[in-house]
Amino acid sequence: MSAMMTVIKEQIANFYLIRRLSLYELKSSNNNNYLGMLWELLNPGIQITIFWFVFGYGIRGGSDVEGVPFFHWMVAGLIVWFFINPSISQGSKSIYSRIKMISKMSFPMSVIPTYVIFSKLYPHIALTIIITIIFQFSGFPISVYYLQVPYFMFASVILLLAISLITSTLSTIVRDVQQIIQALLRIMIYMLPILWVTFKLPESLQAVMKLNPVYYLVEGYRHALLGEGWYITESISYTLYFWLIVLVLFFIGSILHLKFRRHFIDFL
Amino acid sequence: MDKSVIVENVTKKYKLYQNPSEKLLDIILPKSYGEDFYALRNVSFEANKGDIIGFVGVNGSGKSTLSNVIAGVVPQTEGTIKINGQPSLIAVSAGLNNQLTGRENIELKCLMLGFSKKDIKNLEPSIIEFAELDKFIDQPVKSYSSGMKSRLGFSISVHTDPDVLIIDEALSVGDKAFAEKCLDKMNEFKSQGKTMFFISHSIGQMKQFCEKAIWLEYGQIRMYGDVNNVIPEYEKFLNEYKKMTSEEKKEYRDNSLKKQRELNLV
Repeated sequence: MSAMMTVIKEQIANFYLIRRLSLYELKSSNNNNYLGMLWELLNPGIQITIFWFVFGYGIRGGSDVEGVPFFHWMVAGLIVWFFINPSISQGSKSIYSRIKMISKMSFPMSVIPTYVIFSKLYPHIALTIIITIIFQFSGFPISVYYLQVPYFMFASVILLLAISLITSTLSTIVRDVQQIIQALLRIMIYMLPILWVTFKLPESLQAVMKLNPVYYLVEGYRHALLGEGWYITESISYTLYFWLIVLVLFFIGSILHLKFRRHFIDFL
Repeated sequence: MDKSVIVENVTKKYKLYQNPSEKLLDIILPKSYGEDFYALRNVSFEANKGDIIGFVGVNGSGKSTLSNVIAGVVPQTEGTIKINGQPSLIAVSAGLNNQLTGRENIELKCLMLGFSKKDIKNLEPSIIEFAELDKFIDQPVKSYSSGMKSRLGFSISVHTDPDVLIIDEALSVGDKAFAEKCLDKMNEFKSQGKTMFFISHSIGQMKQFCEKAIWLEYGQIRMYGDVNNVIPEYEKFLNEYKKMTSEEKKEYRDNSLKKQRELNLV
């Protein structure tokens, strides 16, 4: 418990640092491109197009998902995946790829994954706004259910923080972890109700898929953006399960991080 | 006199593994795998406020390890280090982000050192002026020459007002004029009572800058004292060492390492 408090205190005390560093992170990863940060939006755009073409037009033949056009159904869930996927993969290598530069012990290392995740949050917010505008003019206007979007954004950030605390520590100690994470991420997009409709599967199989906390976020974003209902309270037991998982992950992550952080440099 | 740095029985142990699987086993299992290698063995010394101490020694004697341990970059395996104040390590291009410009790097580095927005704004002009980068300050650091990088690194570090300054070979890339400027700055620090550690292979610079010297040999202190006593001894040793044939050198190394390993730690 005290490990968790230490990590949380470090995050709060260094919030300005996190904000500034995340901006630099965003900048330095896009400095080499002529289009710069525009790529943070162009890449998801290209992927949305190809996913829609393959899964919506090709496989489903352009049919709806319970009255919702496939494009809207897919994008409403995919949008959070475009935040989670790069955040986990970058967050995991955040410590070992920066430890040389941050050769200072007084620097609170637990903020490294945080600012890397924050640097992915800005393009995510921009993408959400663009998608909102597209939805507004294509039959899914802004509704009261949009109030859930900030909540699910917050929930995503906290889940990502908890996961990255664990993965960044493990991948610093054993570099192979990074490869495992990449492989898992490649599988995970198909294990979520993003590209294909899962509610025709047997109940038991759906329940297994729901163990993944990202499932909660995908469905939450979809309910909010498509105005399908108040997901937080309608699935209150799932909400509680999600936060319990976050708490457990955060607890393990904090302990691991604090146990090994003094020796990170020795693992290089 | 006030002590600013107290190093007591510091040992830094590295593991040498035959293959990657040994490393993995060493992490997972409580049993120890791999061969121990001591980069530092039972090093103790004290430094007073305002001391300028040079580290000398042949390659692999532990100079850089010792400076990293004092700066807190690398944790020691055993022993304690007490530092009165904030240490700052200057190594060539340490902690610069190649993709960002010099100006952005100044803010980034200062942020990481815990400076506030206002402090950074105040410091920036004098950092840029000291580094003599002119219009290159708004170019990405990857386009800098090694001299420019080390000037920028040095400039940032001296302006962050550290209490203990550790300079690891950082001046060897700068030209004479810049080295003079750094010397002036270091003398200014000295008068303020800051402690400095200076690592260089240049005996000339060492004699010019330092008052005391530590001669390291295979992770142990062979001699610690006034620079005018240590450096001549070290030079004498260097000349003898140079004259040895390669077999004799190898024998000398093996003997020293053996002695170091057998050293009984009290």
